[in-house]
Amino acid sequence: MRIARQTATFVLFLALLAGLYTGYKAFGQAIDDRQHGWAVVGSVLPRTDDLNMPPISEIFGQFWETPGGQDRIYIRILLDEAVFTLREAFAGFLVGSAIGMAIALALAQWRRLEQGLLPYVIASQTIPLIAIAPIIVIWGRKNFDFFPWEWQDWMSVSVIATYLTFFPVAVNGLRGLQSPRPENRELMESYAANWGQTLWRLRLPASLPYLFAALKIAATASIVGAIVGEISAGVEGGLGRRILREAFNYTTGPDRLFASVLGAAVLGIFVFLAVTGVERLVVGRWGRGAAA
Amino acid sequence: MNAIHIRGATKVFNPGKSSQVEALADIDLAVEPGEFITLIGPSGCGKSTLLRLISSLALPTTGSVEVNGKPAEQARLDRDYGMAFQTSGLFDWRTVAKNIELPLELMGWSKADRRRRSSEMLELVKLGDFAKHHPSELSGGMQQRVAIARALAFSPSILLMDEPFGALDEMTREHMQDELLRIWRDTGTTLVFVTHSIPEAVYLSTRVVVMSPRPGRIAAVIDVGLGDRQASTRDDPAFFSKVTEVRAALREVEG
Repeated sequence: MRIARQTATFVLFLALLAGLYTGYKAFGQAIDDRQHGWAVVGSVLPRTDDLNMPPISEIFGQFWETPGGQDRIYIRILLDEAVFTLREAFAGFLVGSAIGMAIALALAQWRRLEQGLLPYVIASQTIPLIAIAPIIVIWGRKNFDFFPWEWQDWMSVSVIATYLTFFPVAVNGLRGLQSPRPENRELMESYAANWGQTLWRLRLPASLPYLFAALKIAATASIVGAIVGEISAGVEGGLGRRILREAFNYTTGPDRLFASVLGAAVLGIFVFLAVTGVERLVVGRWGRGAAA
Repeated sequence: MNAIHIRGATKVFNPGKSSQVEALADIDLAVEPGEFITLIGPSGCGKSTLLRLISSLALPTTGSVEVNGKPAEQARLDRDYGMAFQTSGLFDWRTVAKNIELPLELMGWSKADRRRRSSEMLELVKLGDFAKHHPSELSGGMQQRVAIARALAFSPSILLMDEPFGALDEMTREHMQDELLRIWRDTGTTLVFVTHSIPEAVYLSTRVVVMSPRPGRIAAVIDVGLGDRQASTRDDPAFFSKVTEVRAALREVEG
């Protein structure tokens, strides 16, 4: 029942957004916004002609069309690209989450480290991704030859996804590890539990609600990282690459750019829901008493 | 041998700083095995601090605390204590049975032994049907009973309780007191129990330790001697006269 209601709400909002888009477009066309007779429509807000705002029907219709020189319908192409991007993003998500959790553990263990290291962890996120992505790609090609396998460009993309992923996990993981109440810590102390036992039986499980909040952010961030990374790295394949290509060909097929961007959004929603599903399985049974 | 023997214990927080607080002074107390001792006194009289000294969660500034004939720290490492706090402190992510099994896991009991023990303990606190529930599905009183079951699961010789019924309503509270007395009689555990409530102290204990504040001292130790408690005990004139006696002692320490 709950799923049905949520789905209905989602579809309703989707229809509302589509209606808004179409309504605005129809309005702009009706008043002929190229005349600049209206201050906002066609200047602050986008122009409403088919190049700037392809009709919804064209964008969605694009999914089932076969582009020239291709043997697959467009939605199939996007799906393949999405799987490619998802693989890069997932590798980055796994590595980034592990690094984030390791940082959280270290910061929770040594308070001095928290004061010393945390500013750098935060500073790392103020550097624009677009600026460091090419550096990572170049490093990957020229320097990362100490790995037992040959470094591929998609691995650089995963590193970029890692870069966006570790941060929310580190920050929320730290909060989670510090979340047990004093009486719970004293309880473990009264049992003469050692550090590892306290970590495994109290601090880690207590951190899970915080961790899942972070993993949801990290999962969507890993997709963003992979898409931006693909654009910088010039790997063959992936949604980022696809979006870049459609942007070049914008004048001849604006609806394809819109469709590919929609595909990226759907991928982001997919990974978010995937983490939410795992969260329900793991934390769901704790009931209303669970933190956060 | 005394279950607990405290000699000349003091506790000073932040010694030498402007925030220095003398929490406990000149505490001498000997508790026989199987006794039920309550600590009562106004806020800031150091009764929780005294409990923490006994449990070795805090160390005395001077003096000594011996438990079962050894230093309190050693007794903690030997797992001579069970503890229960004002909040049940159950782990949300564990089922009721798994919460009770937590200390047993830490002590390396086998899975079969843990299972058997947790179901025995659940029977003891009359929650046999709730083994697979999570704490959030239980009422406050039931959670507190699970916490007591957890504290008793490894049969510690001493149970230390810091206002465990403080957050419960009056009806649940009286029920829990009877439950605790029954468990105490059945297990022969030595009990040290911190409370704010005079009737609770008198109803539960063999001796009431009345404490005075700033710094915390033992002002009086009152033998209760009411024998086996029954439902009628709460209306017994002897019960009321002990309540009056403890109240008078408390009034004195508050000046």
